[in-house]
Amino acid sequence: MEKGLTTRKIVTAGVLGAIAILLGVTRLGFIPVPTAAGNATIMHVPAIIGGVMQGPFVGLVIGLIFGVSSFLDATIPLFKDPLVAIVPRLFIGVTAYLAYRSLKGVNEITAIGVAGFIGAITNTLLVLLIAVIRGYIAPGVAVTIALTNGIPEAIVSVIITLAIVVAWKKLDHGTNKKSKISGEL
Amino acid sequence: MTEQPILEVKHLQHIYMKGTPLEHHALSGVSLKINKGECIAVIGHTGSGKSTLIQHVNGLMRPQSGEVVVDGMNLSDPKLDIRLLRRKVGLVFQNPEDQIFEKIIGDDIAYGPFKMGLPIKEVRDRVKWAMEVVGLSFDEMKDRATYALSGGQKRKVALAGVLALRPDILVLDEPTAGLDPRSRNELLEKLKTLNEQEKITIIFVSHNMEEVAYLAGRIYVLADGRNLVEGTPEEVFGEADTLKKHHIGAPDTVEILGQLKAKGFAVRPNAYQLEEAAKEIIAVLRQDGR
Amino acid sequence: MKKIAGFEFELTRNITIGQYVPTGSIIHRMDPRIKLASFTLLVISMAVCATYGGNLLALVLSCLLFYVSRIPISYGLSGVKPAIPFILILAILQLLFYSEVASGGKVLLNYGFIHITTDSIRLVVVSALRFVEIIFLSSVLTLSTSTTQITHGIESLLRPLRTVKFPVHEFALIITIALRFVPTFALEMEKMMKAQASRGAEFGTGAWWRIVQRTKDVFPIIIPLFNVAMSRAEDLVLAMESRCYVPGSQRSVSKKYKAYRTDYAALIFCIVFAIVLLAFPFPY
Repeated sequence: MEKGLTTRKIVTAGVLGAIAILLGVTRLGFIPVPTAAGNATIMHVPAIIGGVMQGPFVGLVIGLIFGVSSFLDATIPLFKDPLVAIVPRLFIGVTAYLAYRSLKGVNEITAIGVAGFIGAITNTLLVLLIAVIRGYIAPGVAVTIALTNGIPEAIVSVIITLAIVVAWKKLDHGTNKKSKISGEL
Repeated sequence: MTEQPILEVKHLQHIYMKGTPLEHHALSGVSLKINKGECIAVIGHTGSGKSTLIQHVNGLMRPQSGEVVVDGMNLSDPKLDIRLLRRKVGLVFQNPEDQIFEKIIGDDIAYGPFKMGLPIKEVRDRVKWAMEVVGLSFDEMKDRATYALSGGQKRKVALAGVLALRPDILVLDEPTAGLDPRSRNELLEKLKTLNEQEKITIIFVSHNMEEVAYLAGRIYVLADGRNLVEGTPEEVFGEADTLKKHHIGAPDTVEILGQLKAKGFAVRPNAYQLEEAAKEIIAVLRQDGR
Repeated sequence: MKKIAGFEFELTRNITIGQYVPTGSIIHRMDPRIKLASFTLLVISMAVCATYGGNLLALVLSCLLFYVSRIPISYGLSGVKPAIPFILILAILQLLFYSEVASGGKVLLNYGFIHITTDSIRLVVVSALRFVEIIFLSSVLTLSTSTTQITHGIESLLRPLRTVKFPVHEFALIITIALRFVPTFALEMEKMMKAQASRGAEFGTGAWWRIVQRTKDVFPIIIPLFNVAMSRAEDLVLAMESRCYVPGSQRSVSKKYKAYRTDYAALIFCIVFAIVLLAFPFPY
C-alpha cells in the first residue's frame, strides 16, 4: 500500500462510500438469515473492504459515511442518536485493517477473512455498548443480541468480504479450479 | 393470418412514478404483433420507450394498462407463472457483461440452468450448446477465468448465459453497443444464425441502422412512447421524411442511394442491404463509363 | 426480504438522497457552513438532553423550522410514520421488561416481573420525542440544502483541522464522489437485479439456517455491483490524474460563501438554545 493519501485512496473511499449509502437505503443491505432482527446487515462491508484494500483512513471515512447515512435514514429510534449511529462505525474499517495487517504475513486469505469477522464484530459490539451506556437497552438484552445477531452477521461479512477482496486482489489465480460442470458426469 | 402470434402487445401504457411531480410517460399505447421465428428490430430515439417496452416482455414490468401476451400467457394475469415466462423469454440487457459474477466461465453460464433445477448433465449439455452457438469452444473455455476475457468475449459469455435457458424468444437491448467492429460483426452473424438455424424469435433494440438493415425482417419505429412506423426494412426506410422528422437516421446505403436518385440516377432507393446497394452503385458507374 | 418477483424493481428509482425542496426561504439562503454548525449543535444538545421540558421545547423548535423553511411538514412526518411500530414495541419492552436500565425514580407499579418507575417512563417518552425532533431537524437540513452546499460546508467547517494534518479538502472530495455515485450505482443495481432475475435469480432460497447458501444468493448482484464500482473508480483515477490532480496541493475555490448578520444571529440563537437544553434546570 502506498503511503499518504493518493488519488486512488480518495476515489476508492468515495465509491465504496456510495455503495455503503446504497446498501442502507435499499433492501440489498439485508441478507435473510436467522437473527433476532430477521436478517443480517451487510452495510458495514464496504468499510471493511476499504480498510483492507486502502488502509485505516479510507476505512474510517467509509465508516463515517455509513454512520451518517444510517443516522439520517434511521427508522429505529436507537439509530436516531448520533452517538449510536455514527461513532461506532468509525472503527469498523480501522479494526478490520489492523486485523488484516497483523495476519497478512501468515496467510493473506485468512487475514482477509478475519478482517471481515473483526470488522462486523466491532460494529455489533460498539453499537450495543454505546446503546447500553446511553440507556436504550439493558445489558442482558445486549448480550443476547450480540450472540443472536452478531455472530450470523459476522459469518455473512466474512463470506462477502472474502468473495470480493480475493477476486480483486487476484489471490485465487493459479489454483486451477474447474467449473462445476467440468469432468466426467 | 391464422397463426397465433408468439408475442402480442396491445395499447401498452406505462407511467413512471405515477401520481408524483416526477411522473413520466414512457409508453402511451404501443402495439406489436410478432410471429414465431421472426427477427424484429425496435428502433427509436432515446426516451422513446424501447427499454420500458422490452422489460414488459419477460415480466420485469407488468402492464399498467393495455395487454401483453407471450405465447398464450397473459402478463396481466396475477396467477401467471413468472418463472415459466422467463424461461420462454431470454432478456439480454445493455452491456450484459457487467452481470457476470462467477469466477469461471462455465459456472456463470450454468447459473440460469442450475436455478431452473435441471440435472447436471442437462445443464452441461445446455452450456455446451450455448457456448458453441455464440462461438466459444466448450472444451477450451469452460474452465477459464472470466476476468481475463476481452470485452467481446465477455459479451459472448453473457449472451450464452441467457441462451442456456433455451428461450423461444430472445430479446436484446443494444446488443452491439460498445463493441469493436470485429466483435460486432461476429455477434451479428451469431444472432442471424440463432434466428435462421435455431429458429429463435429475436427482438432487438438498436440505434445502429446498419445492423438493423443486416438483421431485421421487420421493424417497429417508436416515438414518444407510440408506434410511428412499422413494416419491412424497405417500407420503413422508404419513409425517410417521417424518420428524419423524429431524428432517426436511415442506413448509409439508403442515404447514398436516396441522394443518387435525387440527382437523377436510375437506382432502387430501397436496396438497403450492403451488397445490393453496392450492385446498384456499380451498375450506375458502368452506365456512366459507357 | 421478498423474493424477486417482478414488481419491486422500481424501488431504486425512488431513492431520495439529497432531495432538495426549493422554497427560497431564509433557511435555504443561510450560509451552509453556519447552517451545518447550527444543525450539529442542535442535534448534539437534543441527543444529550433528557428532560421532558427540554425535549418539548426542542420539539416545538423543530416544528417551527418547518414553518420558517416553508417546507411542508408532511416530509418530516413521512420519516416518522414507518418508525411508529418500532417506537411502540420499544416502549412496551422498556416499560415491561427492561426496568433494570432505568430503575431509579418512584415506583409506580410493581407486579410480578413488571416494574414501572417514573424513570422508565421518562426514558421511553424522551427517546420517542428525541427521535421525532432529530428526524424533523435532519429533514429540514437535507431538504433545504443541496448536496454541493453540504460538502462545501463540511469542508470549510473542518478547515481548522488542517493544523493537525487532517486532509480536509480530500475528505470533502470523498463525500462529493460518494454522493455523486449513489444514483449511478442505484441504476446499475436495478439493472443487475433485473438481469439476474431474468436468469432465474431468487433470494432467500434454502433452509433458513443455511447462512452460507443464503449469503451466496446475493452474489449475482453484490459482486457485479462492487466490480462496476471499482471499474468506475479506476476510470475516475485516470481522469483525475490526467488532469493533474495531486492530493494535498493548494486549490482555489470557485464558490465563496459569505455569512451575513442573519446567519450569525441564527448561530447565536442555536448556541443559546443548546445551552438552555443542556443546562437549564427544567422542573420535569
